[in-house]
Amino acid sequence: MTAIIEARGLTKSYGSTPVVRSVDLNVEAGRIVGLIGPNGAGKTTVIKSILGLTSFDGELKVLGLDPRTHRDDLMKEVCFIADVAVLPKWLKVSQAVDFVAGVHPRFDRKRAEEFLARTDIKKESRVRQLSKGMVTQLHLALILAIDAKLLVLDEPTLGLDLLFRRSFYDNLLNDYFNKERTILVTTHQVEEIENILTDILFIEHGKIVLDSPMESLTDRFTQLIPAAGNVDRARALKPFWEREIFGRVAMLFDGRDPAELGALGETRAPSVADLFVAMMQPVGAAPSPSKEAA
Amino acid sequence: MNNMIWLIRREFWENRSLWIAPLVIAGVILVLTAFGGVHIGREETFWFGTGTSDLEGMSTTDREHLNQAMGEVSGKRDMIYAFTLSMLTTVQMFALVIVIFFYLLDTLLAERKDRSILFWKSLPVSDAEVVSSKLLTASVAAPVFVLLLSAVVQVLFGLVVWARFSGSVVGMVMPVFDAGVWLQVQAAAWLMTVSAIVWYLPLIGYLLLVSVWARRNAFLWAVLPPVSVLIIEAMLAQSHHFADFLGRRFAGHLEIMDFSSRSFGDDGDLPALGELASHIVRVFTSYETWVGVAVAAAFIFVTIRIRRVRDDS
Repeated sequence: MTAIIEARGLTKSYGSTPVVRSVDLNVEAGRIVGLIGPNGAGKTTVIKSILGLTSFDGELKVLGLDPRTHRDDLMKEVCFIADVAVLPKWLKVSQAVDFVAGVHPRFDRKRAEEFLARTDIKKESRVRQLSKGMVTQLHLALILAIDAKLLVLDEPTLGLDLLFRRSFYDNLLNDYFNKERTILVTTHQVEEIENILTDILFIEHGKIVLDSPMESLTDRFTQLIPAAGNVDRARALKPFWEREIFGRVAMLFDGRDPAELGALGETRAPSVADLFVAMMQPVGAAPSPSKEAA
Repeated sequence: MNNMIWLIRREFWENRSLWIAPLVIAGVILVLTAFGGVHIGREETFWFGTGTSDLEGMSTTDREHLNQAMGEVSGKRDMIYAFTLSMLTTVQMFALVIVIFFYLLDTLLAERKDRSILFWKSLPVSDAEVVSSKLLTASVAAPVFVLLLSAVVQVLFGLVVWARFSGSVVGMVMPVFDAGVWLQVQAAAWLMTVSAIVWYLPLIGYLLLVSVWARRNAFLWAVLPPVSVLIIEAMLAQSHHFADFLGRRFAGHLEIMDFSSRSFGDDGDLPALGELASHIVRVFTSYETWVGVAVAAAFIFVTIRIRRVRDDS
């Protein structure tokens, strides 16, 4: 496995405000990585650094290239949707296809046209005449028809309704299995993408607070609802988060033996959304892993 | 090269005024020629689109003037033909200058305002290529389009004039088409245009730089600094060196050509193309032109750098 993205001490400040603080990253080929964090956590800045759209300090290699100095070479292999609705309003659908076909050596025009044929988008429409969902479909049709090694999606479904979001990720997944490709996607709608990810990265206040393959999450984290008399004993095992639901206490443990916890009450594997909430707003006894006091 | 052609096409897709405005002007010229009023007075002056629409309805004095004028000019047929055709090109070019001025000011600001720069930057097209495509659109593609269009308009103009005025005094002076004169007019127009573009390159570079730098109000950012310098210099030093400098940058190439040293057309003949060229060529041998080109290159270089590193979208 080769590293598609490798960052050591990636740091970025706007003025005296640090937005990304010494981030280390390692994304291997063929993974689908979710970069998840609350608004303002530094997701977009990390993405922009990877795409060579902003300056930064530290070391960063994307496909072995430094995006600060080799951006033009990088863009032959990397594709991105930086945000929804950045296609210019005056552009016609046919012009968009013509232009990308004209300038991108790895663009497969037939694929894009097949994709568009399955939508309601008319070739002669201008972007301004399309709905927000259709603009995203058009953008996705263009991007997926490019045989890129790395696909970066920054909040690609922001502001779309559920139907469009679902079909967006379905299309993305179908395409992923057709070719060897690495995908980095940011979102704050965790629950919608947790099924498609192979790895997750949690970012908060510019720091990576969790970096794990999906399959090892269940080994590492356990949620426990202790039986009535066992709350204090459970607390002694240092959950990193707890809250009360329906009068019962739910706790999250990091690296505890599920059998040990099972003796104290009901255990189950927490969802990514549970973990996300727990790590972003720790209210329990112990601070979340590697999180500094704000 | 292939990228550049697509990028320039893209500019014409986005900025439709680059080709629609010249077409509209061409249409207006032809419609006015066909249906507009004509006034031909003394001093070989032509007006289209004013006053009466019917030569028959002319006052006696006007008719007298007309006959007099025609009598004076009958030997200068080629000169009048060439002058009229050149006027048509001049009108077209003047309109294009206005369109290009606003195009350049807007082009690198608009892509940041609508954030489409994030789409353009996702494609394997470098910042140098994008900025160059805008420079080439303004300095080559659009002017060439207008020169070619204008050559066609001149032919159509001749046909319209012939259809409308054949048999009348105006028809006597204006040939339907004179290939020799027409070709000479084209050659002169191309020479003048090329020299003007090279002379105005620093201005083009300046407008692109303002466009990539301004967050809004590119027009104000382009105009206010030079105007402020003008006013401050006038107030503090009570001098006008900067005004002189600007004047030179706007019309200096005409001064360098120095047509006034020979009054063209006074002897009634069409100036030889070679002689015209010998004046125009002075622009390319003047150091001022090349200083301007160097300054333009610096402006373009900075523009490319700013587009590359800027991340406010």
